Amino acid sequence: MWGLREVTALERPPTDLIDRVVERLAGVLRPDQILTAKTDRYNRARVPAPFPVHRWRERVPDLAVLPESTEEVAAVVAIANELKCPVVPRDGGTGLTDGAVPLRGGIVVDVKRMNQIHELDLENRTVTVGTGINMLKLNEVLGKHGLIYPDDPASYPCSLVGGRIGTSGWSLIGARYGHTRDLVLSFDLVLPTGEILHVGDGIGRQISKSSSGYQLKHLFMGHQGTLGIATKATLKLYPKPEAELSPFWAFDDYDAAYRFTGALARAGVATFAGAVLFDEWKVAYLRRDDEAYIPQPADVRALTCAVLYGWEDEVRVGGKRLFRIAKEHGARYLGDEISEGDWAARHDRYATPLHGRTKSGQVVPMSWHCEDAAVNYTRVPAVTKAWHEIVADLRRKTDVFDDWGMFAYTSADTGVDYLTEIDVGIWEQRLDDDAWAMWVRAKRDIAAAALAHGGSISACHGSCREGEVDLVPRELGRGFDVMLGVKRMLDPNNIMNPGKYLLDLAYQGGDLAARLAELRGEA
Amino acid sequence: MSYRYSDEHAPPAPQRASEVAVTTHEHVFEVDPRLMERWVLQQTFPNWDTLRIMHARHDHLDWMHAHFAQKTITGSDLIAEIENEA
Ligand SMILES: Cc1cc2nc3c(=O)[nH]c(=O)nc-3n(C[C@H](O)[C@H](O)[C@H](O)COP(=O)(O)OP(=O)(O)OC[C@H]3O[C@@H](n4cnc5c(N)ncnc54)[C@H](O)[C@@H]3O)c2cc1C
Repeated sequence: MWGLREVTALERPPTDLIDRVVERLAGVLRPDQILTAKTDRYNRARVPAPFPVHRWRERVPDLAVLPESTEEVAAVVAIANELKCPVVPRDGGTGLTDGAVPLRGGIVVDVKRMNQIHELDLENRTVTVGTGINMLKLNEVLGKHGLIYPDDPASYPCSLVGGRIGTSGWSLIGARYGHTRDLVLSFDLVLPTGEILHVGDGIGRQISKSSSGYQLKHLFMGHQGTLGIATKATLKLYPKPEAELSPFWAFDDYDAAYRFTGALARAGVATFAGAVLFDEWKVAYLRRDDEAYIPQPADVRALTCAVLYGWEDEVRVGGKRLFRIAKEHGARYLGDEISEGDWAARHDRYATPLHGRTKSGQVVPMSWHCEDAAVNYTRVPAVTKAWHEIVADLRRKTDVFDDWGMFAYTSADTGVDYLTEIDVGIWEQRLDDDAWAMWVRAKRDIAAAALAHGGSISACHGSCREGEVDLVPRELGRGFDVMLGVKRMLDPNNIMNPGKYLLDLAYQGGDLAARLAELRGEA
Repeated sequence: MSYRYSDEHAPPAPQRASEVAVTTHEHVFEVDPRLMERWVLQQTFPNWDTLRIMHARHDHLDWMHAHFAQKTITGSDLIAEIENEA
């Protein structure tokens, strides 16, 4: 076991500490880069995942800074480390596991001004960018060169490269192009002590495969800002696709759509970029409010869509193969208009309704919440059933929650595992302490169901929010102990996004083994 | 902009589209007003604004296609090719 050291977890910094921090920051940043106004701070405490809004104040930072270079980020972090003031990296603020929400006040380092394109290398097909850049904006520039950076989350218009690194994001077209971890070749990172580190394969900036030394790139992705701040990244580029094909097919029942989705993913078509299975709850939900589905006949109960990208000749051949499989499975093609329109709407259809229904059918304002997991193909139906039961139980108790259905998306090109997602409408204005406690319990049950079926708590967003986070030591086993050791070594003062992922355990005295055994349900 | 004229506030008479939705202008669906009486009340939009929102949506979807690929291939095209080959 690790030698324990007594370091008290940081609570909210006292005012005189913040005054000293601001004074010192004035030596490394211009006044317009240091934000202390209430609106600047409250806006940087907000993320899309619904939370009890009456507790907003608890999540507000003491100040925010807008650095413009790696050196400025390093200077800010060095001051924070010296004065032991919490630092929280923030990019687009679209994360769904509260990663960018300060739990102990302190400084939010907002990297959005670091949005430059530093170098476009057309020969080696890479681009080096500031991590505050957004993929959509980057692709507008790359498109002029016939290139694309194909990291395509549903949050594509609003999430940024640094946040993609911080979460190790998942892409809708990852079965063809890989996910963020595959597409980011290397990056500069400011460690919690303010030192600057370059991580990639080996020490390369533009190397996609090296066997030299430990593979540190993965360690510094998906840590939710607890191990440092990525400032400049080199990304892998592809030719902008000549052609896109996105057929949608309907089924009378879920089982048939499930079998068909599996067959598409296993077909080995090279241009296949992903398939999505919509379950009966999702179709019923869309039928309520979505113009494409309101007019659909009643026997449309489950759907599958697939998407292919590449040169036109390849996409046609691959597409025809998928349509032949569709015929064998009795899939009904939904038509060109829905197929094209719905795929193009993939970035906004989740959150747009902004309303749900009470049990009596009345419309109420609701925000979108999404729980995700990584689950093997053969376990998707069982997890789907278990999750709907958990949300049905919530809804029986209160109108605060509404089941908006589930998607299962292919993660890989072989169909091995799926990102399963349940969308839940939450009436945020009614989310009092009791309803929140109910939701946290449900989140824990949702995560436990994924683990019970051999899955991972999250394929996409991370798992550091109240509820699921308690199960992370169980999921990672001994790997969680390694996480604690790494955290303590790299962040001796626990300043980097403190309070996340139960990492405070790395600094607490007492019997760590007993606490971990308790969290793992072994005590 | 003719939002000041009352006829602009009179959309075509609603037709029932499903148990919970009605349709007014072509391709424009709305929640059945009976379901928006308590917590969220339905607002009246001038016709031009409703149509502007609908057209903007189509513009957005076209933009997204062009952003990711130079052209889209339709499923009906491929189905026709498969049938011709058979
Ligand atoms: C409508 C919607 C759809 C979504 N769909 C997807 C999806 O398909 N796939 C997916 O993966 N996610 C999805 N998400 C979740 C979210 O968009 C991703 O987690 C995204 O990667 C977060 O990026 P961001 O720039 O908003 O980061 P933020 O929310 O600002 O930060 C996310 C985490 O990374 C840390 N961080 C931020 N910047 C840095 C940095 N420079 N260096 C180190 N750490 C940093 C933060 O501290 C935080 O812990 C969706 C969210 C929404 C609202």
